[in-house]
Amino acid sequence: MRGLPAWLWILLVIAGVGLVPVVMTDAFFLRLFTEALMWIGLAITWDLMAGYVGYLNFGHGVSFGVGAYATALLIVNAGWPFEPAAALGGVAAGLVALISGWPTLRLRGAYFAIGTWALNRAVMQLALVLDITGGADGMRLPAFLRPQFFSWVMLGVVGATFLVLWLLLEQAPFGLKLKAIREDESGSLAIGLNPAKLKLQAYVLSAVPAGIIGGVYAYWITFIDPASTLGDLVTDQAVVMAIFGGLGTLIGPVIGALLLFAFKTYFWAYLSDYQVLYLIILGLAIAATVFFLPDGFWGTVTRRREGRRALQKGMALAHFPEK
Amino acid sequence: MSDHVLKLESVSVAFGGLMAVDAVSFQVAAGEIVGLIGPNGAGKTTVFNAVSGYYKPTRGRITFLGQDVTGHVPYELAAKGIGRTFQVVKPFAGLSVLENILVASYLRYPGQAAARNKAWEVLKFTGLAERANIPAAGLTLASRKRLEVGKALALEPKLLLLDEVVAGLNPTEADQTVELILKVRESGVTILIVEHIMRVIMKISSRIIVLNYGQLIAQGQPEEVAQDRRVIEAYLGEGSSAANGSTP
Amino acid sequence: MLILLPQAIVDGILLGGIYLTVAMGFSLAYGVLHVIDFAVGEWIMLGAFVGLTFTNWFHLDPLLSLPVVFVIFAAVGWMLQPLLQRVLSGSRGRPVLMALVFTFGLALAFRGSALTVFGIFTHSLNTALSQGSWHVNWGSFFLTIPLIRLAGLVYALAVIVVLNYLLKKTDFGLAVRAVAQHKEAAGLMGVDIKRTSAAVYGLYVGISAMTGVFIGAIVSLNASMGPDLSLFAFFVVVLAGMGYLSGVPWASFLLGLIQSFFLIYLNPSYVLLALFTILYGILLISPTGMFRKGV
Repeated sequence: MRGLPAWLWILLVIAGVGLVPVVMTDAFFLRLFTEALMWIGLAITWDLMAGYVGYLNFGHGVSFGVGAYATALLIVNAGWPFEPAAALGGVAAGLVALISGWPTLRLRGAYFAIGTWALNRAVMQLALVLDITGGADGMRLPAFLRPQFFSWVMLGVVGATFLVLWLLLEQAPFGLKLKAIREDESGSLAIGLNPAKLKLQAYVLSAVPAGIIGGVYAYWITFIDPASTLGDLVTDQAVVMAIFGGLGTLIGPVIGALLLFAFKTYFWAYLSDYQVLYLIILGLAIAATVFFLPDGFWGTVTRRREGRRALQKGMALAHFPEK
Repeated sequence: MSDHVLKLESVSVAFGGLMAVDAVSFQVAAGEIVGLIGPNGAGKTTVFNAVSGYYKPTRGRITFLGQDVTGHVPYELAAKGIGRTFQVVKPFAGLSVLENILVASYLRYPGQAAARNKAWEVLKFTGLAERANIPAAGLTLASRKRLEVGKALALEPKLLLLDEVVAGLNPTEADQTVELILKVRESGVTILIVEHIMRVIMKISSRIIVLNYGQLIAQGQPEEVAQDRRVIEAYLGEGSSAANGSTP
Repeated sequence: MLILLPQAIVDGILLGGIYLTVAMGFSLAYGVLHVIDFAVGEWIMLGAFVGLTFTNWFHLDPLLSLPVVFVIFAAVGWMLQPLLQRVLSGSRGRPVLMALVFTFGLALAFRGSALTVFGIFTHSLNTALSQGSWHVNWGSFFLTIPLIRLAGLVYALAVIVVLNYLLKKTDFGLAVRAVAQHKEAAGLMGVDIKRTSAAVYGLYVGISAMTGVFIGAIVSLNASMGPDLSLFAFFVVVLAGMGYLSGVPWASFLLGLIQSFFLIYLNPSYVLLALFTILYGILLISPTGMFRKGV
C-alpha cells in the first residue's frame, strides 16, 4: 500500500461505511446493513481460530450467546444501560472462553472440534433449563427502535474488531506466531513459542468481540432465546462464511460474509417460501468450497495473483521486505 | 568448574519398560563439535529430545551453562540458548522461508523491525536469501535442511543440536552443509551433531560419543573411536563397517 | 427408588443396544478411513425418513424396509466415499480438518433437505411390535420390556455378529483390517484400497441408516434430530477409544445406562445437558477413551 499506512486505510474505510446510514435511512436497508456487519464480525473472529491457529471452533456461537444473555440479564434484571451491558457481555464471553479454553485447547484437531461442539450444545441446554434465562421462551429486552443507532454501534464494534485483529495478526508478531503453531505445533516449541499460552490468547481474543456483538444483537432485536443465540445456525453460518471467503486472512471472511449474506438476503426476498432450502445451499456451499476451492474465494484469487507475480519476476529473485 | 556448556549425568529415558537412553553421561565443552553416533535405535535422537526438552528424563540430570535444566520445556530451553533441528525436517510449510526464520527471530528480537533484520542476516548466513519469499513447502530437501539450521540459528543459541542435517543430500550439497556447520562453530556456537554419514562426522568432530542400545559405549577422538573394538562390534552387528570410515 | 433400579438397568441396556450399531459403523469408518463423519446423525435421520416413506408408500411394516434402506444407503455411501477421499488427500490446508468440514457441510445439506421435504414436525414409525411389551415379574420387581426396544437390541447384536464374522473370517475383512493398520502396505500387498474403503464407508452408512429406522420406531423422528445423535455417536466412540472396535459395546451400554438413569432418577430436561457435559469431561480426562486405546 503506497502512501497511507494500512491502519489509516482501514479507519477511512470504516468512516466511509459509517456515512452510509446517514444517506440511506430506510429501516429495512439499515437492518440488512447491521446484520451484514454482524456476520462479518462473527466470521473474522471465527477465522482467527480456524485460519490463523488452525483450530476449528464449532462452539463459536457460545461466545455470541453468552454475550447476548449476559447483556440481556444486565439490562433487564439489573437495570444497566446498554453500552456497559454490552461491554460486559464481551467480558463474560471472554471469561467463559478463558475457563473453557484452558482444558479444551489441549485437545487436538477433530477432538477440539467435537469438544467445542459439545460445549455449545451443553450451554444451549443450560439456557433452556435455567429459569433466569427464561428457558425456551427466551428473554425480552426493552425496545429501543433506532435503526441508525444500531447500524453505527455494530459498525463501531466490528470495525474496531477488524482493526485490532489487523494490527495484532498482520502487523504484530502475534499473527505469525499463531500461524507457526498452525503449521507445526510441536516444532514451534523448539523456536521458543509457548503454544498453550498463545492459543488461549487467541481463543479469548476471538470470544470477546463475538460476545459484544451478541450483546448488541440482544438489544437490537429486543428478543433472544436459546435457539437463536446458542443454536447451531450461528456457528454454522460463521463457519461457511469464513471458509467460503478464505481462511487465514482477514479479508477473506469479510468477503465471504458479504457474499453469503447478500445471497441469503436475495434468496429470502425472492424465494421466501423456501427458507429451508437455505440450509441445503449452505451445506452444499461449504462442501463444494472444501472440495473445489480449499483456499476459499479470496484465497484462490490471491493465490492466482501471487502465482502470476512469481512467474513474472521469476521465483528465485529476492525482493526487499514489503510489509 | 570446567567450562562445559552441556553436561549429562546418568540420564535415562524410559518408555514403559524400554530404556531408550540408559544412564548416559557426557559433557560438551564450549566451542567443540561433538559427534553422536551409533546404530539405528541407539537412542541418539532420544538424547536430543531429552536435552531440548521434548522428553523428560526418567532419571539423571542435565546441566546447561551451569544451570539444571532437567525436564524444562522446549521453549524455556530455547530462551536459555539451546537450538535444535529435527531429523525429519519440519519447516512451517505454509509460511515463506523468510517468515520461518522471522518467527524464530522474535525470541531474541520482539520488535518487528529488529526481528526482520535478524531474519535477513540469518538468511544470508545460510545462503537462503534468494529464496526468501518462496513458501517453505516449495524448497528442495537441501534447502529445507538449511532452513532448519537457519531457524535454530535465529535463536542465537549457545548450543546447537543438529540431527542428521547431511543425510539424504548429494555430495555437493553435503559439502556445502559441512561448510555451514563449520561457519556456525566459528561464530562461537557449540555443536552436538548426530549423523550417519561417517566421513562427515569423523572429519568435523573434535570428539565422538558412541551409543548402542541406549548406553554410552565409547567416547574419544574420532580415530580412537573408529578403532574401538566395541564400536566396530556394535556396527558390524548391523552389517556396516565404521572402522574404515566409509558410509554405512 | 431402588425398586426402579432393574427397570433403569434394562432400559439402559436396550438403549445401549441402539447406540451400539451407530457407534460400530462410525468407529469402523474412522479406524479404516481416518475420517470423523460429522454427518453420522444425519445418516441416521435420513434412514428413518426413508423408512417412513417406504412405509407410507407401500403400507408395509417399517421393519420390512430395513433391507431396502440398507441397500440404498450403502450405495450412497459407496459413491460418496471417493469424494471424501479426494478431500482427505488434498495438498492444501489441513486435509483431515477439511474433511471434517466437508462432512459438516453434508450434514447441513441433509438436514436442510429433510426439513424441506418432511417439514419440521415430529413423526413416528409404527411397527407391529410398537405396542407390545413383555412384562416380567421378578420377585418384587416389575419389568416392562417394550418389544420394539428388544428388537433394537436383537438388531444390534445381529450387527455385531455379522460385522465380527465379516472382519475376522472373510477376505474382505482381512483387507479392511489391513487398510486400517497400514494403507500403503495393504495396497502393495494387492488390496484394492479404493474399493475396500468405499465398501467400508458404504457399510457404515447402511448400518447407520438402518439404525435410524429403529430409532424412528422406538423414539420418534424429526428432521432436526441429527446433531443430538451425532453427539451420542461421538460420545460412544470417544469413550470407547476412536477406532477401537472392541471398546464400543462397553461404551454404548454405559451411555445407555447413564441416559436411562438420568431419565428415571433426575429431571429429564437435564439429561442432554448432563450427557454433553460428560462427553466434554471425557474428552478432557482421557481423549483416547476409557481403555486408552484410541487413536
